[in-house]
Amino acid sequence: MPGFKAAFTNELFKLLKKKKLIISVILSIIAVLIGQAAVTAVQTGFGLRIAGSTEFPLIVLPVFMYTILPMFATFVVIDMFNGEFTSNTMKLTLTRPVSRFGVFTAKVANVALFIMGNLMFVMILSLVVGFIFNPASTGLIGVLRVILAYAATFFPVFVFSLLVVVLSNMLRSGLAVFFLTILLFIGFIVLSFLFSQYSSFFITSLFDWYSRWISESMNVFKLMRQALLLLGYGIMLFSAGYYLYDRKDL
Amino acid sequence: MVNAIEIIGLSKQYSNGRGIRDLDLTVDQGDIFGFLGPNGAGKTTAMKIMTGLMKPESGDVRIFGTSILTNYVEAIRHVGCIIETAESYPYLSANDNLKLFARYYPDVDQRRIDECLDITGMLPYKHEKARRFSLGMKQRLGVAAAILSRPKLLILDEPLNGLDVEGMLDMRRLIKRLNEEEGTTFFISSHLIHDVELTCTRIGVIYGGKLVNVEYTSNILANYASLENYFVSEVDRNARV
Repeated sequence: MPGFKAAFTNELFKLLKKKKLIISVILSIIAVLIGQAAVTAVQTGFGLRIAGSTEFPLIVLPVFMYTILPMFATFVVIDMFNGEFTSNTMKLTLTRPVSRFGVFTAKVANVALFIMGNLMFVMILSLVVGFIFNPASTGLIGVLRVILAYAATFFPVFVFSLLVVVLSNMLRSGLAVFFLTILLFIGFIVLSFLFSQYSSFFITSLFDWYSRWISESMNVFKLMRQALLLLGYGIMLFSAGYYLYDRKDL
Repeated sequence: MVNAIEIIGLSKQYSNGRGIRDLDLTVDQGDIFGFLGPNGAGKTTAMKIMTGLMKPESGDVRIFGTSILTNYVEAIRHVGCIIETAESYPYLSANDNLKLFARYYPDVDQRRIDECLDITGMLPYKHEKARRFSLGMKQRLGVAAAILSRPKLLILDEPLNGLDVEGMLDMRRLIKRLNEEEGTTFFISSHLIHDVELTCTRIGVIYGGKLVNVEYTSNILANYASLENYFVSEVDRNARV
């Protein structure tokens, strides 16, 4: 794909220069530290053991993946699409020798990299914090379970961010995309409770599929079905996002 | 010799009725082509289609023989452009802005970036963030970005926008120099008709989305007192039709 490498490097360069990245890192650190403070307070105050060193990252994960991670992934997507459309800087890239597909893929790949990097950062941070506060219960199997859980979490969050990519290419205002994303996020959660038999169709209900990966009895067929659902959503949303992006007149 | 630009039956209509209709035009290699027309005539629309920012309803644009619709990457490889306004990433320095664009061209290195910043008088502000630049400085940075890859064709929409007198003179000199020394073809739209008269070798007039006339500047000036007179008479003639 001609120009993809340059477009990918440029998107990464722009992402690293933005303050949002620093804010997301700071918020991630704060979330992990507050989590550990709460765990320590309960353990010392009530004498209850809540989490061992490798269990702590698994306590942090659901909180992180339902709040900071999708929120900042949404910010990054809005910045990459709506931000560049409204500030007229999108044309700077599109008038260079690179196809629209190359630019779109480079942007989406950077969103994926952001989610991956953010997950990895929180995983390492929470593991380190867990080791420091609960050094006695350290084990290799536990660490592997944490890595598996964080790696599995990447997929549903990435698919959700592809939905935001579609919205970003449908609506001109970044603010409208942000609020619509929040509404959809809450709506999906509510709907998956109300219509639990159809919950697999709502992306947010797949957010906690990591728990199936690390459970004692792994249901391979259910995992396979969910993986295929995620893949299907991913392909459809990527295609829809690219279709809208390619048709856009600047 | 293949034409620098060949526009064939290009049409694009907006919902308000404006746009371009059946535009046919050829620009030879080495031309400095002035594209003139009143506001809303379709100049920017044509330029946006030429640079792939917009898709036409029908027709095609060939840049050095390569279609912009079927082989965009190859067609745009030899093109530098400023469309509507010279934009830059405000949170990046002038140097970082140009570094981003340089990644698309394997033969553009830091020395070439410095050279372009020097040509446009932006070298002293190399490490300043673009958000602090004045309109004229942003325009100069836009020009630096457009000439960075030593393009064979430069498409410039209002290149003198925001420039002071000295900047305008510099820009005119730069256009002449690149045209004479490197054989760069220019496609320029500007409302500053005096500058167009002094710079361009051929003039095309667009009115109501249609190309109404194309003529060499020397021929125009042989028959009219100034390019302004020619332009006004062309616009009046077509407004009456």
